[in-house]
Amino acid sequence: MFKKLIKSLSSLRFTIVLISLLGVMFIIGLWVPQISLVKGLYLEWHRNSPNLVAFLDALGLTRVYTSPLTVTLWFFFFLNLSLVIRQRIPLVRHRISLSSKNIVDPEKAAGYSFSRSFLLPSGVGGGSIISLLRKKRYTVLGDADGFYGVKNRLSPLAFLIFHLSFFLILLGGVISVYTEFIGYLDLAQGETFRGEAERYNASPLPKFPSFGSTPAATFTVKSIEPHVIGNTPTSIDVRLLDSEGRSHVAGINIPYKTDHTSFVFKHLGVAPLFTLKDPAGVVLAENCVKLDVLQHKPDRFSLAGCNFTATFYPDYVLEQGKRASRSMEFNNPMFFISVERDGKKIGEGLIPKNGRLEFAGYRLEMRDMPYWVRFYVVKQRGLSVLYSGFALATIGVIWRLLFFKRELVGRVREKNGEWFLLVAGRSEFYKKLAEDEFVELLEKIIGKAVKG
Amino acid sequence: MAFWEIIFYWVTLVIYSLAAGGFIYSIVFKNPRVLPRITLLVACGFAAHTSTILARFFATGHLPWSGHYEYVLMGGWFIIAGTLFVGLQNKSLRGLAVATLPLVIIMMGYGYMQNPGLTPMAASLKTVWLYIHVYFAWISFGAYALAMSAGALYLLKSRSDGLPVPNPAYEKYPSLDRLDELIFRYVVFGFITDTIMICAGAIWAKNLWGSYWAWDPVETWSLISWLIYGITIHLRVTFKWREKKLAWLAVAAMSTVIICFFGVNLVVNTSLHIFQVR
Repeated sequence: MFKKLIKSLSSLRFTIVLISLLGVMFIIGLWVPQISLVKGLYLEWHRNSPNLVAFLDALGLTRVYTSPLTVTLWFFFFLNLSLVIRQRIPLVRHRISLSSKNIVDPEKAAGYSFSRSFLLPSGVGGGSIISLLRKKRYTVLGDADGFYGVKNRLSPLAFLIFHLSFFLILLGGVISVYTEFIGYLDLAQGETFRGEAERYNASPLPKFPSFGSTPAATFTVKSIEPHVIGNTPTSIDVRLLDSEGRSHVAGINIPYKTDHTSFVFKHLGVAPLFTLKDPAGVVLAENCVKLDVLQHKPDRFSLAGCNFTATFYPDYVLEQGKRASRSMEFNNPMFFISVERDGKKIGEGLIPKNGRLEFAGYRLEMRDMPYWVRFYVVKQRGLSVLYSGFALATIGVIWRLLFFKRELVGRVREKNGEWFLLVAGRSEFYKKLAEDEFVELLEKIIGKAVKG
Repeated sequence: MAFWEIIFYWVTLVIYSLAAGGFIYSIVFKNPRVLPRITLLVACGFAAHTSTILARFFATGHLPWSGHYEYVLMGGWFIIAGTLFVGLQNKSLRGLAVATLPLVIIMMGYGYMQNPGLTPMAASLKTVWLYIHVYFAWISFGAYALAMSAGALYLLKSRSDGLPVPNPAYEKYPSLDRLDELIFRYVVFGFITDTIMICAGAIWAKNLWGSYWAWDPVETWSLISWLIYGITIHLRVTFKWREKKLAWLAVAAMSTVIICFFGVNLVVNTSLHIFQVR
């Protein structure tokens, strides 16, 4: 019973069933909005179809990649893989073994799909054929009376490397998930971060690690320079100064890395320094407000009881009486601001960089317009294990499928005063390709004198 | 689009369409003699295709790496390059173009309807990983397309061979045995390059998005596609699936690649792999 169970669990049929089921789960994940990926869409859907969503929630299909069913499938996948590897080890050992038993008569060799006989030209003997095969990177046993040649003998080991790499990827993945800290951090030009946990954005909530600590980085954002051509952001340079006075540049594709932590650039915004003055010119409030306005969406802020709605135009122009931006380049930055107090609109107007807006006797001045950036902060360990898994998977698959094993058995025989080389050959995967290769190889060694 | 790019683009499409028509003619009217001339026509189309890419390169200052239009322009180039290369290595394989040409024509038509405007290189694409990831994606896509073509050819030829009078147009194509092995070889080639593509993509994603794997729709579908081709290899090596079964599998598995490259973005707008300039 137990043996039968192990046999079923280690069968390739079971692997295929598991992979197919995992594929089905992934496809479900593409169609059913996932909480972890598209939370906004999920919540909207939840409002529209609460019963259906509750049902799918109960089945775990709205968190399909981490649902108990998927985890169980992964568990069985790796169990199956372990059993397959265990089963295959003796076979691999047998396949890479080299012994005189491999020398068989080419005319009676079982499993060798290719067989030919070549008329040997004068001066070419068995010894020279064997040494030429060795030059072609064949390992050869035996002599002219019977030899066995093998190329890429150790290729079956690549099977183990490729499949073991899955475990490294799994291990790296598990370590990274359990040691992972994830948080979003908004920093404006001139701000210093000292690793304070409370500085991370409240929404989305930071994810704290099950094992390990939060990032311990300390740095100041010295400058933020976005570069835009037309409507395409072409680069951004975020210059950081760490606690030891060293300068670093972060940007798109270039995270700032320290202490197993990556500060990945995610988002850019403007952080204008606004000063609100009363009719007598007394400063009521002054603040550098981080506004998320670069995606053509208005953002809100409050100063001294006034509520402001700001729309930003990086390259302001008035087109047919309407406010617009020629491009996303910061050529003529301009805010359109609408002001409310106690729910009543009390003013609106344009305010350029270093300009002012007068409303209801008040004055709003914009004294500077630096930028702010949102970093996606992720600290995790195990990446080196994971990347080693990737490297081994690549090496394993290339080695196994490109440098596959080729075997030749042969002997030199005399018939009617002429000397013939009889050979039989086989390869692991590509029969026709190997046959062509054998013919080409032997023709190179012996010449064109080929007999059927 | 740049001036010369438009001209070469349309020349390419016209030549490819003529060549595809020629291949279909040769099969339907059982005339294998026209095949060498059609292959020459494909080569001319390929020269025009290369000129289109060069014209765009001189206009934008970078190779076409981003956006649907650029993606299919370069992807189609790789598929035709692969088709011509294998045809040059083995004359009997020239006929693979019978399946790859229509695929490339449809791809190019689709790309033209998307975003062919000249755009500078987006910041997210300025990395060495783009070249590694996208290059291997293209060659794996090209190899899978060739496997699909060899599979389609296998099915057509085996059907013809079963007729009382086989269609002589198929005589110029490789034997069924050889086609069977070719399908497997292209699948293996595609699988290796696909593996490199996924690994390189994960490392790039870590730098760009902060996460090496985010279950993004395109990521997920590329994993599904990789698993399907992995199963194909196992079925061939362990279960000895060959001939018609393998041919059908190669044709059907191509659908996962097409969904990964084009389909996902048609139905999902939340993918990080939007293949657009941002």
